[in-house]
Amino acid sequence: MQPLVGLRVVEVGGTLAAGVATKRYSDFGARVIKVEPPTGGEIRRLAPFPDDRPHLDTGAMHMAFDTGKRSLALDLSTPSGREVLDRVLADADLLIAHQPVPELRALLRRVDSESGPCTVAITAHGLDGPYAERIENDLTLFGWSTRAHRHSVQGREPLRYAPQVGMIQVANTAGMLGLVAVWGRRQDGRRRDVEVAGVEALMGNVDSSFFLWAVNGAVQPRSAGLYRGIYPMGAYPCKDGHVLFSAARHPFFTNLCRVIGHPEAAFDPRFTDPSQRADHFEEFRAMLEPWLAVRTKYDIFHEMQEAGVMCAPVLDASEVMTDPQSVARRSYVTVAQPGPGDEPIEVTVPAAPYRMNGLHSDRWQAHAAPRLGEHTGEILDELGYSRDEQIALFRAGVTG
Amino acid sequence: MSGEVFRGLRVVELSEVWAGPFGCSLLGDLGADVVKLETYPRNSETRPLREPDPRVADGDGPVYERVNTHHHGNRNKRNVAVDIRTEEGAEILRRLIRWGDVLVESFSAGTLARMGFGWEVVHELNPRLTMVSLAGWGQEGPYDGYIMFGVGFDAMTGHASVRGYPDGTMSDVIPILHSDATVPLAWIFGVVGALMERERSGEGSRLDLAQIEELSTNVPHLIAEWTLNHRLPQRLGDSDPHVVPHGCYRAAGADAWVNIAAETDNQWAALAGVAGHPEWAEDGHPWASAAGRVRDRDAVDAAVTAYAGSADAWAIADALQEAGVIAAPVLAPGDPLLSPQLHAREWFQAVDHPFLPDRLLGGFLWRMRPDSPSWDRRAALLGEHNDEVLLELGYAPDEIARLRRADVIGNRYPDPA
Repeated sequence: MQPLVGLRVVEVGGTLAAGVATKRYSDFGARVIKVEPPTGGEIRRLAPFPDDRPHLDTGAMHMAFDTGKRSLALDLSTPSGREVLDRVLADADLLIAHQPVPELRALLRRVDSESGPCTVAITAHGLDGPYAERIENDLTLFGWSTRAHRHSVQGREPLRYAPQVGMIQVANTAGMLGLVAVWGRRQDGRRRDVEVAGVEALMGNVDSSFFLWAVNGAVQPRSAGLYRGIYPMGAYPCKDGHVLFSAARHPFFTNLCRVIGHPEAAFDPRFTDPSQRADHFEEFRAMLEPWLAVRTKYDIFHEMQEAGVMCAPVLDASEVMTDPQSVARRSYVTVAQPGPGDEPIEVTVPAAPYRMNGLHSDRWQAHAAPRLGEHTGEILDELGYSRDEQIALFRAGVTG
Repeated sequence: MSGEVFRGLRVVELSEVWAGPFGCSLLGDLGADVVKLETYPRNSETRPLREPDPRVADGDGPVYERVNTHHHGNRNKRNVAVDIRTEEGAEILRRLIRWGDVLVESFSAGTLARMGFGWEVVHELNPRLTMVSLAGWGQEGPYDGYIMFGVGFDAMTGHASVRGYPDGTMSDVIPILHSDATVPLAWIFGVVGALMERERSGEGSRLDLAQIEELSTNVPHLIAEWTLNHRLPQRLGDSDPHVVPHGCYRAAGADAWVNIAAETDNQWAALAGVAGHPEWAEDGHPWASAAGRVRDRDAVDAAVTAYAGSADAWAIADALQEAGVIAAPVLAPGDPLLSPQLHAREWFQAVDHPFLPDRLLGGFLWRMRPDSPSWDRRAALLGEHNDEVLLELGYAPDEIARLRRADVIGNRYPDPA
């Protein structure tokens, strides 16, 4: 049995963050109703699309993150839409919402403080304070978080990571806390409201610079290319691409020197004394890179790992799914996704974020993402709307 | 009120660096009783023994108590320092396993089993306990025993290949630890699911989290470029192929930057107005449409660059946000202290630690009503709670003294000299 069977979750907003935040719920067995605007929300509008042909049902983000949900297309700007939403919420354990803050505040006021669901509000800056109503996206949240600054070269513009990974992290923070809130209510009966501000969620987590700076006040210089003070740390060229090392300290450095045939380097103060190391980077590189140049990234990976050196091949998107470990663990799975034509689209998506009670247990399952409004009628039936009432909502342009 | 959600939940941490420890701090924020069993007498990865080390704050006391990476993953826990490679140390771990609801470990696959604490043993010791294992490539598969930090998983999920400047090389790409930030969010979700399952089954669960797999769930769009269109995703820098403007622009001042994006025509019109060129958004102007802005990307970017350079980054962001445009300063490590928003929300935390200077540290990832997180325990000193925890586990004071004399437990690392 899936661990979240019986849990009823409502997602509101139609954004990428809202969709990401509820994915793990549906994949682990909860019933998730995705309340989305009849025109299709942000997550359905994000590229890539098959053949670069945009379509509300075939965006890669939608197909990856909306797996196994039911879609209720509903215009929440109307009293009619809000009446439907009230009935949906009356039947829910958890509401996860990502909307502009004024709308979000109004939505949260509709939740019954005693009998309503637990709530998670995803915002950029929180529900209060002078910046509360600012709008941010993945790029600007990244800039706020101090990560972009470190992820850059002195004198050039700070960089985000891959598109949307900051927003996805914010959403997974929210998703995790929703389940925590539900658990808390089961323990002590108290309903909980959670607020996740993107700036705080990114800045407070590890892999940002503020906390580290706050402890010791040291501003690590923005680097230029390969790290010279701490090495080897980063990607080095080899015969067929690059390998990445994180092997600056003992025992990794010692083991690496032995593997490349320079065991003495591990005890040479030019490379081990922190005050001298940076000045001798080029000499070290002259020992390492010829050894790498005649070997493939996978040969280097295995030889280094067998010797106890932290090393990994740098893979591109075409290579990650055929990596032997990915294949053995089935780290990617295929979902038959309804598309614009008669034939379903076979979509490859990442498998479970963790394996629960067995590598291939049925605790985690990815089912197709819904077409926009696919379950509107079914859900309205469940909520007790007669067919005439449903037509009235449809004719008024509230449902889709 | 501090975190109450996990009041009474007992967590044993057997983990180093961030992916395990930071998640355990989040559980502590939520009210769990977390006991970190720290490696001893070998020092932890985040506890260097000597300076100079860029991670260490100035101050008195042992170097290994002043490390920024250590403090960022260890609030709200108790600490015991135990040599579990001795039989008597292993017995302490056995008692902790019987005591706990959750065990979190991040050894390479198979290591803990070889030390006598594989899942079968642990499950027999305490059938109600959930064991979370965080080996980078997971517990099963051909890379059994391989070791890596987050920088390597980043390389192997395809993420590193799309980071960095569009005109840069792979070696210029800066190593990052993104998975250390995302992995805890996933395994805590898993722990709650396991607690829910335990209510039905009475038994704990085994969670096998491969950090590389968890990270891959954060970047499905990268492989989608390949699987849907047989094309490799490119390094985009801060740009977006379908949104113009969308980028990081140089503001007035030294090394000052502002991120700006106009995702809709309305936002573009607002930006044009703030920049003093409302005509850019009028019907008939080539930049008035989203398609036109993509066609004229370089010219639009040049126009936005000229505007962004006219004032400092915070002022540019203030003006654009006032008009409803996505815009924000790019913050250097200490800049969050300049944010009126973070101060208004009392986000920063003042923490009293015997060996750290008095400084405002970063706060929590969330607020929760009625029980918001609070910083009840600073990062514990090495072995600070040896006596307290061992007494709770049933050891008599004279036994604890003997374990200390035998160097099975301790509260200071050997002097490296």
